[in-house]
Amino acid sequence: MKPRPPLPYINNILSLVLWASVFVFFGCFYRYHLAYQEQYQMFLFTSGYMEETTLRIGGPAEYLSRFLVQFYRAPWLGAFIIASLLTLLQRLTLAAASCTGKGEGWAPLTFIPSVFYWILLCDESYKPTGVVSLLLVLAAFRMSLSIRPAASRAVYSLLMIPLLYVLTGGTAAVFWALCVVGEMTGGGLRAWRRLGFIAGGALLLIASPLAAHGFFPQYPLSKLWTGADYYRYQTVFPFMLSALWMTVPAVVLCLRLSPSKGNLPVHGLQTCALVLAAIFGIPRMTDWKKEEVMEYDYYVRAGDWEHVTALADRKAPQSPLSVAFLNLALCKQGLMPERMFHYYQNGPEGLLPSFVRDFSLPMMAGELYYHLGFINTAQRFAFEAMEAIPDFQRSARGIKRLAETNLLNGQYEVAAKYLRLLQHTLYYRKWATETMACLHDEERIEANADWAWLRKYRTKTDFLFSEEEKDMMLGILLQQDLSNRPAYEYLMAYCLLTKDLEHFYQYYPMGESLGYRTMPRSYQEALIYIWGLMNDTTDNIPYPVSDEVKRRVNEYRRIYVNYPAAEPMLRGAFSGTYWYYLHFRK
Amino acid sequence: MRRYFIYIPLFLSSLTGCREAVIPEETRDEPPAIFPDYAGVTVPSTIAPLNFRAEAEYSRIDALIEGSRTGKVHVRGGRQAAVDIPQGRWKQLLEDNVGGELNVTVSLKQSGRWIQYRPFTVHVSAYPIDYGLVYRLIPPAYEVYGKMGIYERELSGFKQAPLIENTLMPGNCVNCHSFRQGSPERMSLHIRGPYSSTLLTSGGEANLYDTKTDQTIANCVYPYWHPSGKYIAYSINETRQVFHERRDKRIEVVDARSDIAVYDTEANELLSSAQLTRQDAFETFPAFSPDGLTLYFCSAAARTIPAEYSDVRYDLCSIAFDPASGAFGSAVDTLVRAAAVGKSVSFPRPSYDGRYLMYTLSDYGNFSIWHKESDLWLLDLQTNEARELSEVNSDDVDSYHSWSSNSRWFVFSSRRTDGLYTRPYIASIDEAGNVTKPFMLPQRDPDFYDASLYSFNIPEFVTGEVKLDAGGIENKARTGERIQMRYRDK
Repeated sequence: MKPRPPLPYINNILSLVLWASVFVFFGCFYRYHLAYQEQYQMFLFTSGYMEETTLRIGGPAEYLSRFLVQFYRAPWLGAFIIASLLTLLQRLTLAAASCTGKGEGWAPLTFIPSVFYWILLCDESYKPTGVVSLLLVLAAFRMSLSIRPAASRAVYSLLMIPLLYVLTGGTAAVFWALCVVGEMTGGGLRAWRRLGFIAGGALLLIASPLAAHGFFPQYPLSKLWTGADYYRYQTVFPFMLSALWMTVPAVVLCLRLSPSKGNLPVHGLQTCALVLAAIFGIPRMTDWKKEEVMEYDYYVRAGDWEHVTALADRKAPQSPLSVAFLNLALCKQGLMPERMFHYYQNGPEGLLPSFVRDFSLPMMAGELYYHLGFINTAQRFAFEAMEAIPDFQRSARGIKRLAETNLLNGQYEVAAKYLRLLQHTLYYRKWATETMACLHDEERIEANADWAWLRKYRTKTDFLFSEEEKDMMLGILLQQDLSNRPAYEYLMAYCLLTKDLEHFYQYYPMGESLGYRTMPRSYQEALIYIWGLMNDTTDNIPYPVSDEVKRRVNEYRRIYVNYPAAEPMLRGAFSGTYWYYLHFRK
Repeated sequence: MRRYFIYIPLFLSSLTGCREAVIPEETRDEPPAIFPDYAGVTVPSTIAPLNFRAEAEYSRIDALIEGSRTGKVHVRGGRQAAVDIPQGRWKQLLEDNVGGELNVTVSLKQSGRWIQYRPFTVHVSAYPIDYGLVYRLIPPAYEVYGKMGIYERELSGFKQAPLIENTLMPGNCVNCHSFRQGSPERMSLHIRGPYSSTLLTSGGEANLYDTKTDQTIANCVYPYWHPSGKYIAYSINETRQVFHERRDKRIEVVDARSDIAVYDTEANELLSSAQLTRQDAFETFPAFSPDGLTLYFCSAAARTIPAEYSDVRYDLCSIAFDPASGAFGSAVDTLVRAAAVGKSVSFPRPSYDGRYLMYTLSDYGNFSIWHKESDLWLLDLQTNEARELSEVNSDDVDSYHSWSSNSRWFVFSSRRTDGLYTRPYIASIDEAGNVTKPFMLPQRDPDFYDASLYSFNIPEFVTGEVKLDAGGIENKARTGERIQMRYRDK
């Protein structure tokens, strides 16, 4: 007789593999998505916040979810939480399915909801609220299985449907479906009672949102069917989520109806299929371009400029926002005019992105305006981003920025209001308390090098923000204080990126007092190009252009003029020059 | 079992702690610094408890509120706790002292010592006040709005109920609520966004209107009901926002064009006149006189916007109106020539007894909530003399105001607490024009305002509970059920 395969042990090992895989995925490869999510909420340890969050349909699950998401600020911790939630989901699905002792051989099926949710969570709009809801529902169902008298179990289940609806929202439907599966696979109720139980459950499921509409008339009924905010956008309930919900009772049904305890080959086949599904599904939901932007944003937010340029050295950024972050990091390190064209540049949007009515871009782009001294614009971007958060949450990052900008504007009462809020958070409390001590204390504010710089160079002249006249705004900023090197470099970069050589040439002398030891490379390249347009030779150029640049511009010109398809020939040696950007980048 | 005995002394000591006698070791000849500042205010006899907290650090607080005629309420609290006055006893105390005063003695336990402060007085007015306030709660945002709505708050308690929130219509904004002399039966409200429309209620029926006509420059904006309820005056504004870069300014809301029209609710027609639709002038903020025979409004010489935004200054004007025919007079009177002295008028609001007209005065423009210099002014319509309401104005924004139905109270918006978040203040005015110190709308928890990230926008008195079928409105808004307003050609 062959020994029985150690399936329970293999199942436990598979659970561990799931945990480890999810942990490594979110901890190593997709970690900036977690940090990104954390910034669009502000979990407060106050009774008011608890009341506001929980007193609505699905509110308790949402509250638990937000409690967990605050730890995403440390992405490793976030990965740990997601891995644990998804593993718990698998174990509870197994527990819900295998109470009859069958199904060990089919246990890989219990990984389907977890893997499915793993795939969904790669989209930052899916919130952990859905996972938390499913866990509550499965726990409630598992509890029902421990109630032996069938009638008592039925009563418990019927009572749980409206309760779970209140706690988790529409996920209560999964509970009802599990109950139906439970009763259909040996629940113990007589036929007519079973029918009554199923019908009663369905009735409660339909009645719950209708009754809730009486208590929450300010939500459309369509919203109350699903209740909780499983997805960040209020008006959308993704089909994928419905599909995921269906997998839970379907898996439980499969296991309960499985013919035997299974065998190792079948078990292995299921595992392989599951791994293939993950390999196929995860890349479909991951967005590595967003991950790149989020990574840049993460380090810009931390002020780790060297890390930002190191990222670009590893892989050139492509999106306008990533490029804008890179340019800011270069500027902060005094490298922008020297090196900016060594990287891919995609126009003025890659320098100072325009405002869009969105929660994501303004929050990130606000960093650029803040570090340049456009304090009011940084404040506006933070405020608008926060208002645009689709699930109406507040943003701890946004509130922090509002506190900073109000401090810099000398509006200490409003700054104090924001700081008091942050003092009720876990991760921002220390900073808020330290900053609170700086209010009304000029010496302490000046002791902070960043604030001191911003207070010195920030916009002081009143003018109206204009998306179409960013060069004008940079010009005003520079005119206020001609020693403001970042303002000068951004103004020049703006002219170069918009290919406005006339203004570049006009503004160039303003930098003479900024103490450049040698003229930055991009300026040399632009000047010699302009000079070449006006003169036959570059030999007598009155600007400090190096011989190497003179040599290279002649070489560039030779190829550009003589070959109709010059771009591929120039790409290798000249893609890092301003001339190449001027001629070949849109 | 034994371990429970150790809790008994603790329990007993906590009880005795609650009843600790206040024996002041120090008496200070100054009133305590409290928030909200209720010292010396005048309140109606039906106002909710004036819960407050002391600004200083303390381990215990004790407040004795004694009526000048009869009755008293004694309230105590723990560390940094608020003085939470029992609602029933407060109500009785106010009723027993109508026309009298309440003297509030506050003692704070600081560093183990009780310190008693000089009592402050709260005057209980004999003038009744309306049922409640309706306001919009909205963050002081720029162009984007998250969750917001119109809410009703009863003044005798702390109950606040949403009339309509944009959770019902995600992505939409609700604004410019207006009632016919505070009547909850007749309301005008705009919905902006994908469900853009104007809501009008009458006798329990609510309809949505499309207010843009071929003859008007934009949708109807700032409303004011005719006392008969037959007409609503609207300004029609082509509005945009621009953003300052200077530290003490944020937003400028400017009109590129604006006119005034009067909507005849019975004929479903918009009426106007050449004097209210001038090309060389911006007309806005219409308001009917209580007899319905005069239409007040603000008018400024037209400028190029946004370049000359800071040169736009509005005068207070009026024009005759004939409710029978809907015709306007031929002459425009200028009541306050603010532009001539470098000032600008907004929000003219005549008192319902016809005696006064209150308005906001700022340096330029018409969106005074973003102007720190904005103050309230009062025009005596009998003497045509205007004066600054220094009794209620602050160093910060004091702006939108509304009269109670008996004209003895007014509510206004102020940013005096932190310079950004608008809070409602209520003050009393008697027949002789004497104005009392305003009080902030009381909240159960005095820290409510500090924790709230919403501004109280357009506070309006209402004489009773507003009944609004939010679900029905959402249904009409979603299905596009609209009544098209027509324009009456001459």
